[in-house]
Amino acid sequence: MAGDMPVPAGARANVKMVIDGQAYEFPAGLTILEACQRVGIKVPFFCWHPGLSAPAVCRQCLVEIKGFPKPIPSCYTAVADKMEVITNSERVLDVRRQMLEFTLLNHPIDCPICDKAGECMLQKHYFDWDARAARNDGSKVGKAKVVDVGRHIVLDQERCILCTRCIRVCNEVARQQDLVMAFRGDRQLLTTAPGRRLDNPYSLNTVDVCPVGALTAKDFRFSMRAWELWATPSVCPGCATGCNIEIQAARNVVRRLIPRLNPAVNKYWMCDDGRRTYKPLHENRLAAPMIAGAATSWGAALTEAARLLDQARDKSPATLGVVLSAQMTNEDLFAFSRLATECLRTDRVYLVGAPDGWCDDILVSADKNPNTTGAKLIGGPTLRTAADLKRDLEGGVVTALLLVGEAVGPLDSLQTLVAVTAHQDPPVAAAQVALPLAMWAEVDGSFTNRQGKVQRLYAALAPAGQSRPGWETAVRLARALGAAWTYGEAKQVFGEVCAKVTLMSRADWGKPEMPVQLRFANSRG
Amino acid sequence: MDDPSQTARRVVIGFGDAANLPEDDDLPTESMPLNMGPSHPAMHGTVRMVLEVEGEKIRSADVQVGYLHRCFEKEAENATWTQIFPYTDRLNYVSPMLNNVGYALAVEKLLDIDKKIPERAQFIRVIVGEISRITDHLTCLAASAMELAAFTVFFYLMKAREWLWELLEELSGARLTHSYVRIGGVVADLTDDFCPKLRDILRRCRASIDDVNKMLTSNRIFRDRMDGIGIITRDDALAWGLTGPVGRSTGLDYDVRKDHPYLVYDRFDFDVPVGSKGDNFDRYAVRLEEMRQSMRILEQAIDLLPAGPVLIDDARVALPPKREVYNTIESMIAHFKLIMDGIVVPPGEIYSFTEGGNGELGFYIVSNGTGQPWKCRVRPPCFANLAVLNKLLPGLFIADLVPTFGMINMIGGECDR
Repeated sequence: MAGDMPVPAGARANVKMVIDGQAYEFPAGLTILEACQRVGIKVPFFCWHPGLSAPAVCRQCLVEIKGFPKPIPSCYTAVADKMEVITNSERVLDVRRQMLEFTLLNHPIDCPICDKAGECMLQKHYFDWDARAARNDGSKVGKAKVVDVGRHIVLDQERCILCTRCIRVCNEVARQQDLVMAFRGDRQLLTTAPGRRLDNPYSLNTVDVCPVGALTAKDFRFSMRAWELWATPSVCPGCATGCNIEIQAARNVVRRLIPRLNPAVNKYWMCDDGRRTYKPLHENRLAAPMIAGAATSWGAALTEAARLLDQARDKSPATLGVVLSAQMTNEDLFAFSRLATECLRTDRVYLVGAPDGWCDDILVSADKNPNTTGAKLIGGPTLRTAADLKRDLEGGVVTALLLVGEAVGPLDSLQTLVAVTAHQDPPVAAAQVALPLAMWAEVDGSFTNRQGKVQRLYAALAPAGQSRPGWETAVRLARALGAAWTYGEAKQVFGEVCAKVTLMSRADWGKPEMPVQLRFANSRG
Repeated sequence: MDDPSQTARRVVIGFGDAANLPEDDDLPTESMPLNMGPSHPAMHGTVRMVLEVEGEKIRSADVQVGYLHRCFEKEAENATWTQIFPYTDRLNYVSPMLNNVGYALAVEKLLDIDKKIPERAQFIRVIVGEISRITDHLTCLAASAMELAAFTVFFYLMKAREWLWELLEELSGARLTHSYVRIGGVVADLTDDFCPKLRDILRRCRASIDDVNKMLTSNRIFRDRMDGIGIITRDDALAWGLTGPVGRSTGLDYDVRKDHPYLVYDRFDFDVPVGSKGDNFDRYAVRLEEMRQSMRILEQAIDLLPAGPVLIDDARVALPPKREVYNTIESMIAHFKLIMDGIVVPPGEIYSFTEGGNGELGFYIVSNGTGQPWKCRVRPPCFANLAVLNKLLPGLFIADLVPTFGMINMIGGECDR
């Protein structure tokens, strides 16, 4: 996070001020809260969010400023020259505790059944800053527990602590006023604006920013305790934007995708469609290699595939085609391209992909493939299109196909079809040999987004069934066809891609990342 | 070249003639390796001794530990601070309470709450700890006496141990693996009639111990097996890091309770018995007397036991009462955080040591500020004590090995962790 960056000495237009008796220098325009975060002073907050405006409603970030009669919300107040701030006096801690007590007063005792438990900011702040027993034994103000506010989201009005983060996400990120506050005092509640529902394309970001379990995703709620999840950094495969995400999985099943901060790509956000991209990982997967529709071993399938391709090449290389997809990683694309030119000696390489869809000027791209940029860079100018493939199939120009992407056009006229695919889709039935392909969440690899940023994927899951990463299948096919390739891991393929593709020459494979269990990641709440 | 038939004729099996005996009184024999353990009834826990014997004499010994290794230290790195208590029960499993207390004190020091533990909890910790020390010594003496064929003694002492364990079972719910201590105090107050029951049990225990004293201490057979066998000098004890009854039998006057008082031990009047010769008999005698001293402490502790809470009043350390948890969000959150995330122990390291049943029981703990230890190392007293056995055994008869090993009192769970 930006808050962890050291203060550069001698930066421009600085203010000199004192926090907790220590002199600091900050660039002008920073809020006190941001200043505190930069130097590692902890100040709690509910309503402030680094990607949103600051309304100062939660009063958790109150600090004392010398000369001010009352405590001041630090998220709302800019740093100024000669300012003296105290963040930890008995008075400050006491007023924060009192504000927290108001928040807890009507909060339902839901932790055991609440999806946010374990990553809840209310839990964290109570434990870190208060940890005192209740002084009130009266009954709580009841509100609606299950309000169906949108396609993806359920609202529990009792749990809401009225921080308005979700309202600001709708207003400022999705630019739609879907949510509002109604009533006052202890009857104040979050609700949809008259005549509206929380159906904007970024609605699930409200669930992420919700500090408590008031807004929960229908897809995730009651499916898994948050602290049992393991988080792996990755990139959304939903479109060419390449939003940075965290895959949160447990026991080899992905439970949700969460946006990960990248100021240059997606900031703190991602779209609702992107969150569903994990579904195909667990649906209808091709689990084992197949020869003529019957499951077999990798060895037998590779031998048979190599024999078929060899035969087709010898008969007529001009009618042998290779189909690649813009859904594939750079490593898979490179390995199969090399297989096509070096081993199959064909320049008939087609690039297909998911058809274009809707887009906006926020995050969503019309190109629904995560790696069109990478595919075009690696494939070069000779790459043929999906339309070419359709035409060639219909015209009978292509009689043998190594299909790694989506099928376009009729496959029944083919004499030879070897399909490398992740799902039990129609080409599997038509193919003489089908090889199972590991998907984006199961491999180490990279996508190049629409800005040309090469972004890393980390394996969060073991590949489904016997499926293997595409580059590995390409290597084994090449060896079966007599080539002496020596790639042992995706990193080596990546290194060669960077060496061959000029525009990727400065791309970096990055450090290894291990999945982190949220339970002991110090409660991110 | 000799005629082979002639050579064969000259081979003599044994010594045909007394005149052929060497000067040495011993019958010369070929040395042979002898495996004792790891699965041998006299090898209490599971320990293996590879002996080189010549006849009945032990020429060299190689004591091999580790057969009961359960990755205590590694497991502890994957458990919350509170979840480690059940593991500590299984260190020295004849005095689990002492391990509970030793571990709790280490974490409390790291949390800087060791001065804030309620006084009643400290007294209770002394009480359950001293009961455990008695059961530890009872087990050691009972088993060793039985191995020397004094089966009656075994029954007398085991009966006494059972009275004490029944009392602890009543208190904690478990006969052996109590998990009764918590960081910040103990899990529950003493049962209503705990003190009168303990007083009664102590009276009966004292009688049992007196009976055993009469049966063994002046028993010629027992003394012959114990006196002057397995002698350790005070210097050796220091050099090998021997503590507890084994160290004290050599005259080494070191008892953590006296030399570095913890809990409320400085308020009790008790003596630390030491031996003079450092042989098996001294180790027996020290243990016998230590039980009497523990009883003295127990009687004083019951008399002085103050009223008050038994667990620290700090929601960041101790679980709130269930009534609060189910009825207030504050305590619900505290309960949730303590169970799921664990107590947050500030980063730092500590070596904290107490007097365990076998000597100085140390916990070296490193925290990285999370709900789990980064490292939780144990100094098991009997690991150091057992190490001296390699030096002690050569020269003894095989039969002496058993009481010597018995008096070292190796407890597999603690030694191997």
